[in-house]
Amino acid sequence: MNWKKFFFAFIAAFGFIFLFGFLWYGKLMHGPHQEVPILWRTETDFGNHFSTLVFGHIVMAFFLTLLCARFVPAGGAGACAVMGILVALVYAGADMITFAVQPLTTKILWGWIVGVLIQFTIGGAIIGALYKAPPSNMTFVKERPR
Amino acid sequence: MKRFILAFVAAYIFIFFWGWLLNGVLLKDIYVQTPNLWRSQSEMMSLFHWIIIGQALIVFAFVMIYASGFAGGGVAAGVRLGVLLEIAAIGMRMGFYAVQPIPGKLIFYGSVSGIIEMIIVGAIVGAIYKPAVARTS
Repeated sequence: MNWKKFFFAFIAAFGFIFLFGFLWYGKLMHGPHQEVPILWRTETDFGNHFSTLVFGHIVMAFFLTLLCARFVPAGGAGACAVMGILVALVYAGADMITFAVQPLTTKILWGWIVGVLIQFTIGGAIIGALYKAPPSNMTFVKERPR
Repeated sequence: MKRFILAFVAAYIFIFFWGWLLNGVLLKDIYVQTPNLWRSQSEMMSLFHWIIIGQALIVFAFVMIYASGFAGGGVAAGVRLGVLLEIAAIGMRMGFYAVQPIPGKLIFYGSVSGIIEMIIVGAIVGAIYKPAVARTS
């Protein structure tokens, strides 16, 4: 594994995932979220838990990078974007279960599903574009004198 | 394709019963502490199909990821994928915990049981799904 490239890919993925999350869930979906205020922490309480939010995003970005770097044999932006979509489907499934047990609106559910799909598809593409593993089938052989 | 479907069905059956045992029985007392955060029993039952679709989507994505990069590694590779995906899911749970007043105990127990759940799902998928063998002439 090329750790230098891995680190850059992870930082870029984290930066994108966190920024997109702030814009999509925090700004764009602020209105729908306010339709069920009982579900959310107050502004000050959220501030006290902000480090948990950051750490959660670090964990998600790290493991998405690890999945793409180690287990996408083809590599590249397209293949890692597909991996991102598959990981997003896991999160979308969890969102559907959350919708069934928590009093969320359908607007929030679909907003979360679309958001996570965009977030992880682009996140995967960024990782794939930045991380390129050394080809595993490359070997160096000394040519015999003829 | 046959093994894909078999792995999907077996993992789905496990995840469904595990979810019921954990959330419906073992963690019931913790859920009761925050009634405002949850739907009523009758409301939940009317939306039960979302739980079925959500679990199916999770298992489908799991088997797809396994088939695309892990297949051939057997049970060990399935378990490895399960652990990776669950740790990523813990990241998501931490995000939820930061914005919702969910009891920390629920996040902790949910994460521990999630690890166990995904290890077993990985083992099931790894044991059942085998990649197609290339035809030799």
